[in-house]
Amino acid sequence: MPRLPLIAALLGTLLLCGRLPAADIDPANYGFPLHNPFEATITTTPPELRPLLPSDDEIDQQDYSLPLRPERRFALPGNLRQVEDLRYRLARQDHPAPLIFVISGTGANYASSLTEYLKRLFYGAGFHVVQLSSPTSYDFMTAASSAATPGLSREDADDLYRVMEAVRAQQADLPVTAYHLTGYSLGALHAAFVSQLDETRHSFDFKRVLLLNPAVNPYNAVRNLDRLVQTEVAGVTGNLTFYELILGKLTRYFQHRGYIDLNEALLYDLQQSKERLTNEEMAMLIGSVFRFAAADIAYTSDLLNRRGLITPPNYPIDEDTPLTPFFIRALQCNFGCYLTEQLIPQWRARHSGGSLAQLIGQISLQALQDYLAGSRKIAVMHNADDLILGPGDLGFLRRTFGERLTLYPFGGHCGNLNYRVNSQAMLEFFRG
Amino acid sequence: MAERPWLIASALLAGSLAVNAEPAADGDGFKHPLDRLHFNQSLDQREFERSSLAILNVRDPWERWNRRVYHFNYRFDEWLLLPVVRGYRYVTPGFVRSGVRNFFSNLAEIPSLLNSLLQGRGKRALDTGARLLFNTTLGVAGLWDPASRMGLPRQSEDFGQTLGAYGVSEGPYLMLPILGPSNLRDAGGQLTDFLTANWVDYLNVATASDAHPEIYALKGTDLRDSIPFRYGQLNSPFEYNQIRYVYTRARRLQIEE
Repeated sequence: MPRLPLIAALLGTLLLCGRLPAADIDPANYGFPLHNPFEATITTTPPELRPLLPSDDEIDQQDYSLPLRPERRFALPGNLRQVEDLRYRLARQDHPAPLIFVISGTGANYASSLTEYLKRLFYGAGFHVVQLSSPTSYDFMTAASSAATPGLSREDADDLYRVMEAVRAQQADLPVTAYHLTGYSLGALHAAFVSQLDETRHSFDFKRVLLLNPAVNPYNAVRNLDRLVQTEVAGVTGNLTFYELILGKLTRYFQHRGYIDLNEALLYDLQQSKERLTNEEMAMLIGSVFRFAAADIAYTSDLLNRRGLITPPNYPIDEDTPLTPFFIRALQCNFGCYLTEQLIPQWRARHSGGSLAQLIGQISLQALQDYLAGSRKIAVMHNADDLILGPGDLGFLRRTFGERLTLYPFGGHCGNLNYRVNSQAMLEFFRG
Repeated sequence: MAERPWLIASALLAGSLAVNAEPAADGDGFKHPLDRLHFNQSLDQREFERSSLAILNVRDPWERWNRRVYHFNYRFDEWLLLPVVRGYRYVTPGFVRSGVRNFFSNLAEIPSLLNSLLQGRGKRALDTGARLLFNTTLGVAGLWDPASRMGLPRQSEDFGQTLGAYGVSEGPYLMLPILGPSNLRDAGGQLTDFLTANWVDYLNVATASDAHPEIYALKGTDLRDSIPFRYGQLNSPFEYNQIRYVYTRARRLQIEE
């Protein structure tokens, strides 16, 4: 009988230690108007529901370059010479402030629109912001990557960490009170690995780390993305290619309006008209954008490592060399092809064999499960209808992050990041 | 027997509802967004490849020269034009810049008007003529743009478009030094529009510019400031090909429109 209080206490601690459930945002109160994940991914939030952001004139910002691989410079083919130094963008406050590093998503560089948006948001809230290219962007691969074969999360994080240290060294006069870290999509996966690296290297001791729509299992993610161009689009036959079909819709839409008006609301307005795109067309469009990113990755990695899969080794490439034949070859390589032809052979050679399952286990968030579960400073925001997720990914996030996971009911892939409710939650997290 | 059609109709309705409804979330709350797509049953349809290879098909016999000019422009932009634009934005207040922008846009209405007339587009010519009138008078020599607020948006037409409208083919793709992507037809059009504007000499600006070349410099700076494109922005080793396609396709759209 005297044991009873002890058992009760034990049960109590167990309950307290057990994870609190994730913060599921109620669809009824969320108010995000786009319930179609493809539409949300393409158009993002309607302009009137976006947060107020500072304009360019109100931001003290500049692009800088870092000469990180001077030894590679002389061996670089002529067509990559414009990215021989790694560029990044720093927006500085005129007072001491915390600094947020933003890591871009798949194939995106530091100036891509989502990274720019996050800069404006955080800068407006009083943070210094450093925008970084993704390790999968061709400028990063050329100027900063040690192996120029992105996809191995730990090595990519190692490259990123070195870039961040170089940024800090270059901006030694910047009064920084604390360091934060964020990233979206693949950049969020990188942010998690960078954060773990920081626990041993302690260069920044990140105070808060926010993962926005992370790729939980990059293999799931790229398989989904590769699949998107396999949708059945009605009407693409014979002479009419998919792009011409989309452009035809756009032309008819403009003819109906009477004038061409390219603005932020264009895609949103198009979806309200009778020329609206179908789910299959939108999926194919999203898939195509990612296929162009895959082509750039496959081409650049092959060229820098002289693998001879796309560009023949020792083929003379100067500024004026026509590259169309190589573009054609690169466009035929999707993420799966890059994985099997370049990433996996490279990984096997360096780590003496290993199965695909082992590789996936090493590069996905699951590899960091214990770290992520125990690290209170890391939080995740994700969408229930994100295109890059596979079955079980959200379950993993729930188990690992508990109440540090915020799950939004809509938004597709990153489509609700510029929705006011989301931006407010992000700022609250970093101010916290 | 009589209720059969109803059965079929309700079954069809239920079927269509099932397709349109949002898929239910699984135990984790995941909605499986890809499950609502119809995929092509054949293993690999290669429509992406077919479409993408088709866009590479732009007549470009002077590709080597064009690529050299592309790299030259890249550097010229970065080392000269953009720093000048930044300095201009730094020293000039916003309302002055918009005045400068409106002033040069107003001058550009002259070639727009002529080209609308040449293409026989009466409505557009009238609109442009009205813009010219309102903005030059009410807008004080074009420094303001009251016409846009009256519901007359700017609709630019150039001589390249006029030639295109009459069926003149594009000719080979041409990367112009400093000015950027073009083709033989549009480059000729640009020159014609420039000479015409000089000849019309609206508000005596052309004459004044000859005496004060700094007006050209201001015009060039404003023009660069008005174009959001930056070299390297497409972030691809194949940016040259992408610009080439976008330019060519956008021009065709403008002409068809």
